[in-house]
Order: sequence, then C-alpha cells, then structure tokens
Amino acid sequence: MPIRKLPLFCLLVLIPAAAVIAADGDVSDADALKIAALEALASAPPERALPRAKMILEGDNSDEVKESALFILSQIETPEAQALLLETARRSSGDLQIEAIHMLGIGGDATSLAALGAIYAAGDSEVRDAVLESYLIANDPQSILELAIAADVEADLEAAIEMLGAMGAKKELQALRENRGVSESLIEAYAISGDLESLRAIASDGSNPEVQVQAIEGLGILHHGDANALLLEIYRASDSADVREAALDGMFIANYDEGLLQLYRDSSDPTEKRALLEYLTMMDSDGIWDVIDSALQGEPQ
Amino acid sequence: MTISDDTLTLYFYTDGLSRRERQEVAAALQTDRALGARYAALSAELQQLTDAPAVDAPADLVQRLHDCVDRLAELPAAAPDAARFNVSSFFWGAALAATLAIGIFIGITVTRETPDLVVPRMAEVPAPMPPTTSPFVRGLRVHLQNSERGLSGLPPGDAERALLLMNIIEQNRLFERAAVQNDADNLARVLRAFELVLARLAAGDLDAEETDALRNKLLFELNVVLTKLSAPPSTDSQTI
Repeated sequence: MPIRKLPLFCLLVLIPAAAVIAADGDVSDADALKIAALEALASAPPERALPRAKMILEGDNSDEVKESALFILSQIETPEAQALLLETARRSSGDLQIEAIHMLGIGGDATSLAALGAIYAAGDSEVRDAVLESYLIANDPQSILELAIAADVEADLEAAIEMLGAMGAKKELQALRENRGVSESLIEAYAISGDLESLRAIASDGSNPEVQVQAIEGLGILHHGDANALLLEIYRASDSADVREAALDGMFIANYDEGLLQLYRDSSDPTEKRALLEYLTMMDSDGIWDVIDSALQGEPQ
Repeated sequence: MTISDDTLTLYFYTDGLSRRERQEVAAALQTDRALGARYAALSAELQQLTDAPAVDAPADLVQRLHDCVDRLAELPAAAPDAARFNVSSFFWGAALAATLAIGIFIGITVTRETPDLVVPRMAEVPAPMPPTTSPFVRGLRVHLQNSERGLSGLPPGDAERALLLMNIIEQNRLFERAAVQNDADNLARVLRAFELVLARLAAGDLDAEETDALRNKLLFELNVVLTKLSAPPSTDSQTI
C-alpha cells in the first residue's frame, strides 16, 4: 500500500505506534511502519484489506511483517483470504509456514482445515505439531482423532493424544482406545481431560498390570471426590502390593490425606501403618501431628 | 488473609483461581467460621441461580451489569511505559468474567455480535464503546486491554512474569468459554491462539530476543482484535 495514499490522520496514528514497536525490539523502522499499517487494515473493508495483505505476503518483506499480514488474513472471512492462507501454508517453509497453519485454525474454514491433513502428512515434526495446534485453535478434535488413528509413528500418536487430552476431548479419546488400545499417554490424557469413567474401567481391569497401575495413579490427577473414594476402594479391595502402592501414590498425588489418615486409623498392621505414616509425613498433612502424638504415647489409633 | 466475595464466587465455580489460591481459600474456609458462613450464603445464592430455569433477568439487573462492564471498559488505558502493570487488575477481570458468566447463565439476552472490519482505533485514546455492543464483547475488550497492558510491562523477574502470564491465561480461558457460550466462534478461536502464544511466553525457555518477538506479535494481534471490537462495521471504502 503506498504510504502517500494514507489519510493524514491515519499516519498521525501509525507513526507513534510504529515508533513504539521499533523501540521495543529488533524490528526495523520500516518494518515497524509496515506492521502498524497492517494493524490499520483491520479497520478496512475486506476488498481493501485483502489485496494489500496479499501484496505484503508476495513482496520482499521480513517474516515478522508477513506474519502480521497472515493474521490480518485470518480475520477476513472470505474464501479468497482463506485460499491465500492455505497457499502460504502449502508453499512456504519455516516460521512462515507454521504461522500460516496456525492462522488457518483461527480462520476456522472447514475446507481449509480438511486440507491441513495433506500438509501434516508431508511435513516434518514442527509442521505436524503446528497442524495439531491449528486443530486445537479451531476446536476440531475429530480431525486430530483421524490423524491419531492413521499415525504410523508412535511419537505422532502420542502428540495427537496429548493434544486431545489438553482439549478435554473425552469422546475422541475413548474412540482412540477402541482403535489403538491403551497406552501410557492415553491414560495421561484421560487424567488430564478428567475422564473418571475411562480411568475407572482401566484401573479395574487386571489383565495388564502395568497399565492398571498407571490408571490408578492417574486417578490422583483428577482431584475429584469420586476419584479419591475410588482410590480408597481399590486399596481396600486389592491383594496386590503393586495395586495398593499405586492407590497410595494416587492419594499422594491427589493430596488426599483424609483417605490416608482413614487407612492409618483402620489398620492394625504395624508395617502398613509405617508405610502410611511415611506418605502422611511427605504430604505435610495437618492430621499427622495427632497421629504422631498418639503413636509416641503408645495409644491405639 | 482477606477473601472477597469475588474470590469466593470463583471458588464456587471452580474456575479462575490457581490451585494454590483454591487451597488457600479451602484452608481459610476450614478455620474461619465467619468466612464459612459468608461462603455458605453465597453458595446458596449461586446454587439457586444454577438450579433456576433460564429466564430473562430483571431490567434493572441487566442495566447494573451493563454499567459495571462500561465502568471497567472505560478506565483509561495506561501508556506502555507508565506505572507497572498491577496483577490485581486481573482479579477485577476475573470478577467481571464471573459476573458475565452469571449473566449468561440467568439468561440475559446478549446481542450476538460478529464484529466486522471497523474504523481505525486511535493509538492512545480508548475508543468509545458503541451503545449496541453486548456485555460479552465489552468484557472481552476489558480483558484484551488488560492483557495488552500486562504484556507491555512484563516484569523482569521470572516468577513474577510467570504469575502474570498465568493470570492472563486463566482470564483468557474464561473469555474463550464465554465466547463459545455466546456463539462467537471466531473470537473463541483467536483466544485459543492467544493462549498458545501466552503459554510459550510463560514457559520461560525463550531468550530475550525470542520473547520480545513473540510479545510484539501478540501485541499486534491483540490490537487488531481490539480494533475490530471497537466500533460497528465500516462501510466506508475510503478509510484506507
């Protein structure tokens, strides 16, 4: 956009803003002015803003300036703007490609989001992460589920599961268990997304002791009264030392000292009492002092 | 420790407070009978709101909510190099977000607004609120202005900086949820993108140059969104 065409009042606004940007970082004065001008494009009608943003993208400009133009494009809800973002996501590389992928998520256009699948397949790990983030921005867990189901590399599967956990996408995570089976990352995602029922099912299934123990510990992450009660129930019902230890670890993670105190008071086994006392001491529980005083005085608890 | 009703409201909704803050409130509730009674009364009121069917709020309550949002929104924006940003302003933001959440819950009819491109925002003077703007959009503007001020004056200490950024992230999440509730998916997506950048800033593993670049990018994007929220869509093709 030729600067001379800017109305005077616009320049009066832009120049101080550009000075602030230029003084604040390593952006040159010329770039700072371009970025300030791009900011003003947010107030322009789409038919005015789009060609100017396109000119910036196609011109010999720094990545900082081009990334600003990409954000402006993400705010223009026209097919042309989305197409330009998609083209940049396909053809550029490095930070600009990553930014274009993110901006497609902000745009939220279903066709563009679907096209990200091919970019994911062709991209390196940074590009694949950016596609997952784009789906997070667009709140599109279904697309992440599809990538997870199709993943042929463990790291890609784990990254997709982690993203679904962060999104609280319980339904998609449950579907993934049916498609790809239980894994440590899936259990973590269940815990992060607060899926008590899925964790309960795995914690109650002794067919794979390793994942059972992980699920029991994961219950502690939920910080939920029902999960705490389940940990207590699991501890009391199990004969397995590993399961009982996992239940104690879960209570420790949940900071559920009431449960541990209850177990301590219910127990008549000195070895078990010592183990429980260790947990309570590590948790710096308020109730520990009564227990210690009583133990020192030789009183039964 | 003094705990305000705003904090108790956030505690009731299990939102807007850090884990440590929740633990502090929980501990205070166990030891302070007066606070416990105040929380019980507040919980009963909030629970009534939760249980009540969605009905239009009384006009005077709607007006009070609008006035509250307006007063917060019209606070003068601090210059970037002015006094240091006060973290407590985010607790105002939290209270505002909680108020908005209640407002949304009790069925206040908010204007569904999908802001389009608008006239330029003056750099130093906050633009007047258009009279038809919804409480959600006005509240969002307050949040974005607070975020802008916070990012412009990020404290030098790692811990203080991380605390400020985490506060911004918590607020951002509240408004992202409010955007979804208001069917403003475009704004919800932008707020999710902001959170990604804020989380990278909060991680503290960037050098000074990367931090500046990321902060400037976020400030630009905040300004663009604020510009879009500032006024009704422009039809003046001569603006630029």
